Amino acid sequence: MDRIRVLIAKPGLDGHDRGALVISQALRDAGMEVIYTGLRQSPQQIVRAAVQEDVDVIGLSSLSGAHNVLFPAVVKELHKQEAEDIIVIGGGVIPADDAAELERNGIEKIFTPGTPTGTIAAYIEETVKGGQTEAFAPVKRIDHIGIAVHSIEETASFYSTHFQLKVEKVVDVAEQGVRVAFIPAGNVKLELLEPLGENSPITQFLDKRGGGLHHIAVEVDNIEERLNQMRKSGVALIDDIPKTGASGHPIAFLHPKAAHGTLVELLEGDDQDGYV
Amino acid sequence: METYEKAYQKWQEKLQKQLQKRPERKKSFQTGSQIEVDRVYFPKEIDNAYINKSGFPGEYPYTRGIRHTMYRGQLWTMRQYAGFGSAQETNERFRYLLDQGQTGLSVAFDLPTQIGYDSDDPMSLGEVGKVGVAIDSLEDMEMLFDQIDLGKVSTSMTINASAAVLLAMYIAVAEKQGVPYEKVRGTIQNDILKEYIARGTYIYPPKPSMRLITDIFAFCGEEAPSFNTISISGYHIREAGSTAVQELAFTMANAIAYVEAAVEAGLKVDDFAPRLAFFFNGHNDFFEEAAKFRAARRIWAKLMRERFKAESPRSEQLRFHTQVAGSTLTAQQPENNVVRVALQAMAAVLGGTQSLHTNSKDEALSLPTEESARIALRTQQIIAHETGAANTIDPLGGSYYVEALTDKLEEEALRYIDHIDTLGGAVSAVEKQYMQREIHRSAYEAQKRLERNEDIVVGVNEFRTEDEQAPDLMKVDEAFVENQLSRLERLKQSRDTEKVEAGLAELKRKASGNGNLMYPILDCVRAYATVGEICHALREVFGEYTS
Repeated sequence: MDRIRVLIAKPGLDGHDRGALVISQALRDAGMEVIYTGLRQSPQQIVRAAVQEDVDVIGLSSLSGAHNVLFPAVVKELHKQEAEDIIVIGGGVIPADDAAELERNGIEKIFTPGTPTGTIAAYIEETVKGGQTEAFAPVKRIDHIGIAVHSIEETASFYSTHFQLKVEKVVDVAEQGVRVAFIPAGNVKLELLEPLGENSPITQFLDKRGGGLHHIAVEVDNIEERLNQMRKSGVALIDDIPKTGASGHPIAFLHPKAAHGTLVELLEGDDQDGYV
Repeated sequence: METYEKAYQKWQEKLQKQLQKRPERKKSFQTGSQIEVDRVYFPKEIDNAYINKSGFPGEYPYTRGIRHTMYRGQLWTMRQYAGFGSAQETNERFRYLLDQGQTGLSVAFDLPTQIGYDSDDPMSLGEVGKVGVAIDSLEDMEMLFDQIDLGKVSTSMTINASAAVLLAMYIAVAEKQGVPYEKVRGTIQNDILKEYIARGTYIYPPKPSMRLITDIFAFCGEEAPSFNTISISGYHIREAGSTAVQELAFTMANAIAYVEAAVEAGLKVDDFAPRLAFFFNGHNDFFEEAAKFRAARRIWAKLMRERFKAESPRSEQLRFHTQVAGSTLTAQQPENNVVRVALQAMAAVLGGTQSLHTNSKDEALSLPTEESARIALRTQQIIAHETGAANTIDPLGGSYYVEALTDKLEEEALRYIDHIDTLGGAVSAVEKQYMQREIHRSAYEAQKRLERNEDIVVGVNEFRTEDEQAPDLMKVDEAFVENQLSRLERLKQSRDTEKVEAGLAELKRKASGNGNLMYPILDCVRAYATVGEICHALREVFGEYTS
């Protein structure tokens, strides 16, 4: 694919261009072609420049509070010029309510102060390339399903009596406050989690939900790169860097809100198929 | 007798005279344990080296402060920048702040006013009343200062390219209130060079812009001698991403350019230099910031004495306003900003600022609410009245670290200033984009350090909390824009059109030739010509600057 082309523009009269300049430079460093309009551009001027320069993305920056008027005016002008394939993103001093409203009105995404430039670059790359990240293969499989229980002994006896599944091993992970039992079932395992000690997170889960499905763990290649990519894309993480799980493999948890309510664990397996 | 002993005696005499004229706030000052606090503390031995470098408070080179008693005599002016929407709403906020114990006003104008467009200009789309109050004509200015006595309050106005027009309006309001010109006190920012460098509200090219500035110097020298004619600003240079050294250096380089322009225009240094004021940023690095203010005073005093042969001590005294750094406020966990602001403000106080604006915690998100504006003001009041920081002069003076930083900042700033001299001075360096490039380089490096986690910003790249609650934000009522437009329409129909046109024609004539432009601008303002009309008239003659 050709290099992504981006127009960074300052609509209106706002003269604060530190953000626009820093982002221009960061996107250039990320391998994109970037044109910066300079200050005081009207929506018409911005769209004209975008069409002439054949850009994929327009990035709008305003810190003066004029975003509610000026950003939609750019989108409207793009429609008028039949250039609505150009993606519009924006940033600046923009309250959350306004950001949501703008995102409903044709602005693809609003980035507010504190956003790392890498997040914006990753977002542009993904959006322009239709969401396909070439770097990663689909995850291989579900490695295990975590189930919170009051007693491993009692629960394991249910699975052994009625499903003829046997506990393979039991491990205490003191620093995380859990005792873990693995029960292989085909190429997936059940992972029974029993609280260990007073402050176990499993106790909280049991108190709140009374036990049951706790998390799923997916097996991935190169967990660190994946975490990096996710962090850049704004995925909420519990673990920024991998730690060692009960199975001895590198693992990391995503925040439940990332997967819309399910706690997901990434696990980097070794290359052999089946369970470990 | 040794020189330093004479210097000490001279200082003592002046100090005693000062104290007779204006006693300190209290008879004596004590710590919390009731230990007596001296006015100022000195090294064990006062020698010539000490006097050349630090000196006595109120004496050259003013490293330790420009007054003999500093905050023991009078606290800094607490001056909160405010303005939004209509003149009427802003007038209400001003009167609220004065009621809360604020001691000076500071007007924020909206961008159309700052760039010389009326509210009904197509260029003003979306910007009317946003970052400050919308002023189209004298009528709005009268409303802005309704029930505020311009003979009693001092007003700072953040206005640059259109400063001459807004100053004329302020003076015209004073006229109407019956306040004599010489009693009018305040400051206009009027610093166009940093607009080209960092802030972006320029209109005309540098040369005619410099003429407007020196016209203001001359006008105020004659007519309004208590008005600060310029506030040479490092603030925005720093906000744009410069380092403390660059802030100091580029501000001084700009100041040199203004002094040179005024001297070239035939003014005498000691006639205008006492009304030059400065405006610095109060940033995060506590000790470096305090040292920066000390270094600034020393650099300025030496420049004025050695380079410009100033003879009046008042020309050598660097007076400055500080605003704490807006760019350090985080949208994440906005309550933390209260703490940042307090520390930054403390550094400014330890650095001897003459006036101070403390930011509100929600400014990375929106304009401040009344509540957060009050907390910001209270922060200053706590520093002034509870911490004891105002009880002695220059409390950090003599710290090995702070003195070393002061020297180092001075040295590095002077190196930059020398380089800008070789580029032909600040005006030429601006045209060559030299400062702009330097600032951008620093801004980008800072961003990279942050993203590599080498620099930590609490709540942003460390110590984050998930699921933050969105705070209540200030909303400007958009309905006022229509009201503003219809009032402008009404004004244009009711005023004496011939008088306006004659005024604008005369202004253009003067602008094409010589003569001080403040007088014809004042005539236009009195006839209710608008900011846009006056600035357009000058655009026709001067042209416009594009970067």
